[in-house]
Amino acid sequence: MTKPLLPLEGVRIADFGQIIAVPYTAQMLAWLGAEVILIETEDRLTTRAWPPFAEAEPGVNRSGGFNLVNSSKMSCTLNLRDPEGVALARQIIAVSDVVVENYSSGTMERMGLGYEDVRALRPDVVYLSLGAFGRTGPMKDLVGFHSVINLFSGLASVTGHKGSHPRIMGGLFPDAFSGCYCVLALLEALYHRANTGEGQHIEVAMTEVLATILPEAVMEYSLDGTEPERVGNRHQEKAPHGVFRCPGDQNWVAISVESDIQFRALAKIAGSPRWADDPRFSTTEARLSHQDELEPLIEQWTEGLPVQEVVESLQAAGVPAGPALDSAQVLADPHMVQRGFVQSPDHQVVGPRPMGAFSWTVNGVQPAIPRSAPLLGEHNKKVMQELLQVPDEEFERLLENGVIR
Amino acid sequence: MLQEGALAGLKVLELTDQVSGQVAGSFCARLLGDAGADVVKVEPPQGDHYRRSGPYPGGVPDPDCSGMFLYLNSNKRGVSLDIESPEGRAAFQDLVAASDFLVSGQNSAEVERLGLRRERSAASNPGLIVVTITPFGLTGPNSAYLGDDLIAISSGGMAYATPGIPDRVEDPGREPPLRSSTHMAGYLAGVQGAMAGVAALLSRSITGTGCEIDLSMQEAVAAVMPFELAHASYHEAKPRRPEVFGVMPNTYLPCQDGYVVVMAVMDAHWRNLMDIADNPDWAELEVFSSGVERARNWDALEPLLLEWTMAHTGAEIAQLAQERGIPCFPAYTVGQMVDSAHVIERGFMIDMEGSGGQRFKLPGYPVRLERTPWQFFRPAPKLGEHTSEVLGEWLGYTASQVSTAGVEAR
Repeated sequence: MTKPLLPLEGVRIADFGQIIAVPYTAQMLAWLGAEVILIETEDRLTTRAWPPFAEAEPGVNRSGGFNLVNSSKMSCTLNLRDPEGVALARQIIAVSDVVVENYSSGTMERMGLGYEDVRALRPDVVYLSLGAFGRTGPMKDLVGFHSVINLFSGLASVTGHKGSHPRIMGGLFPDAFSGCYCVLALLEALYHRANTGEGQHIEVAMTEVLATILPEAVMEYSLDGTEPERVGNRHQEKAPHGVFRCPGDQNWVAISVESDIQFRALAKIAGSPRWADDPRFSTTEARLSHQDELEPLIEQWTEGLPVQEVVESLQAAGVPAGPALDSAQVLADPHMVQRGFVQSPDHQVVGPRPMGAFSWTVNGVQPAIPRSAPLLGEHNKKVMQELLQVPDEEFERLLENGVIR
Repeated sequence: MLQEGALAGLKVLELTDQVSGQVAGSFCARLLGDAGADVVKVEPPQGDHYRRSGPYPGGVPDPDCSGMFLYLNSNKRGVSLDIESPEGRAAFQDLVAASDFLVSGQNSAEVERLGLRRERSAASNPGLIVVTITPFGLTGPNSAYLGDDLIAISSGGMAYATPGIPDRVEDPGREPPLRSSTHMAGYLAGVQGAMAGVAALLSRSITGTGCEIDLSMQEAVAAVMPFELAHASYHEAKPRRPEVFGVMPNTYLPCQDGYVVVMAVMDAHWRNLMDIADNPDWAELEVFSSGVERARNWDALEPLLLEWTMAHTGAEIAQLAQERGIPCFPAYTVGQMVDSAHVIERGFMIDMEGSGGQRFKLPGYPVRLERTPWQFFRPAPKLGEHTSEVLGEWLGYTASQVSTAGVEAR
């Protein structure tokens, strides 16, 4: 059987991504069939030098943080502080369809690799720049990691327990969510290019990406200056709506009740059918105003049962519920494993390691299977000699002079 | 001249949960409209759930002015159909047959009951791309489970991971895993659904046929946590306990008027930070001599730094710090973000007007595409606003066919 064609087969991407957001973007494009050349250097390692390492043993090829956002790519090490390194990067770009970068504003331009320079080499290039605050505006030069983006965007101000301080969302959410918008934009731009032959520049601000999930808060503030309150896990239209303790260490179940019928079912399963007739709880409106009384009653029930039993009994009765999984449980979840979301590409140094792949299937199967992340500089010879036709002795000279490193 | 979007000329039909609503399906379809596709939203006669959810510009419920509805449904036209009636269902099937995309946001039982799987329409429309967004997907042992944002954020692993780094759980025994008060999982699944849809469109250019995309909200959440999953995959899952690791300070602290990010992970940053804090006598202590030492001794350092931050406003600290190249910022409330010079100068927010002339803002589009820019092509439709227009244009329905099948604008 021939391998099905992937949507980005034949598309080459020069990846100047840093840390997570743009590396994550380029990884998704690599999964979709693009040939992604990650341009990095041993002089300026980020995630490769950061934990988590396989079995906590450091090593440039042992970082899970790197390997899970750079799978299916090639690695080419170039010293971009050396003009010869930049010249080689320009050669790679000249034969690439897409350039992606998230250096600080102005860095690519100073190296002569900005959009205008690149367009002179490759008129139909699709070139994406992502910044914490974007490439324009008074804060464009400021550097910001995920916590800053959470805090600037206002997201942290709607995350947290009642009366307590703002909280940072887990999972480095701003980086990967920005990456999703980047992938969407790049796919649209490639579709446009296929139809018209025209490339373009794409610019993304991570702080704006986060603000796209805050329409109610933005609207209310702009109408009358009302700032949102932090309400923990509660919801303005549903009650009970929370995460409740189960027996053991750190076992939690999420329950969300959106109707009186669902509440009646919950009360019955919890062995307290009379809750549904209690005037404090009999309607959504009543439950919304008596959550302080209702939540402890529910927790008294969940504290006696394993998470899975609570979830299964509620779901069987038509009440939305789910476990609050930790990351190990996500990777071992039978449901997600069966759907193919969990994949374990075999890495040359650390062996097979589970990771999350596509959140969707196409006609019932994962659209593609990720290959493991490259070793540092693994594809130097392939990129330099096969792609750029650099002769052997010249390749050796570039290695000796530290241009390739 | 108005530029065309990248997806100009493509037809998208959207059907979202008629009872509970779903952000993901609506947002997915809006994103395709944002890129220039002709998106038609099908609503039941009583209207979409989010017409009843607010916030409302005048504070008075008005189904044509609910903020969530306006936000999720701009760049679409609206058709009102009773798909539970034979005539309405037939008109819906005719619209599916004329579409490039069918986007649905439902639970999996509804997807089956309403016949939204691609096999139903593939014979008459082989190019059709079906995007279904369900709580747990259409296959697998939990596919029948119901779910909403809280359930997806929890079962996808993000609630457990919150608060994240550099935050920390204060009392892990009492403090449950946390969501944000947003429809985060819905937006995540919506953007990923649009990604999957455009990827399928590129595939269709190669193969000539459409496909069925089955997107799970649970997985849409888990998919944006590679770093978290890496911990479990490479060493061990990050525990929920008060801990500080790496190098410090890399955190945020209360200050006079809110909170301020205090980040000085490099030694040069730390020396500059101590300079602007007027070089207190503890600055030179051996226990604070490196980022790693400062993390190890954070319990001693935190109250000392807190004493300094509480004596200043966030803006004062940020200004002093930024002059020295230290990445400190005040934490913004939503209002401070909306009013910030940066957001205003970039023109990110869209100005809206309610039916009573009330002026308000909604978030704009976070991506600037130079040649195919995002545009506010049209505001969200009034209920049934385009029923006869679309049934006529897409299907050639006559006025009498429209009145049998659809519900006219009031």
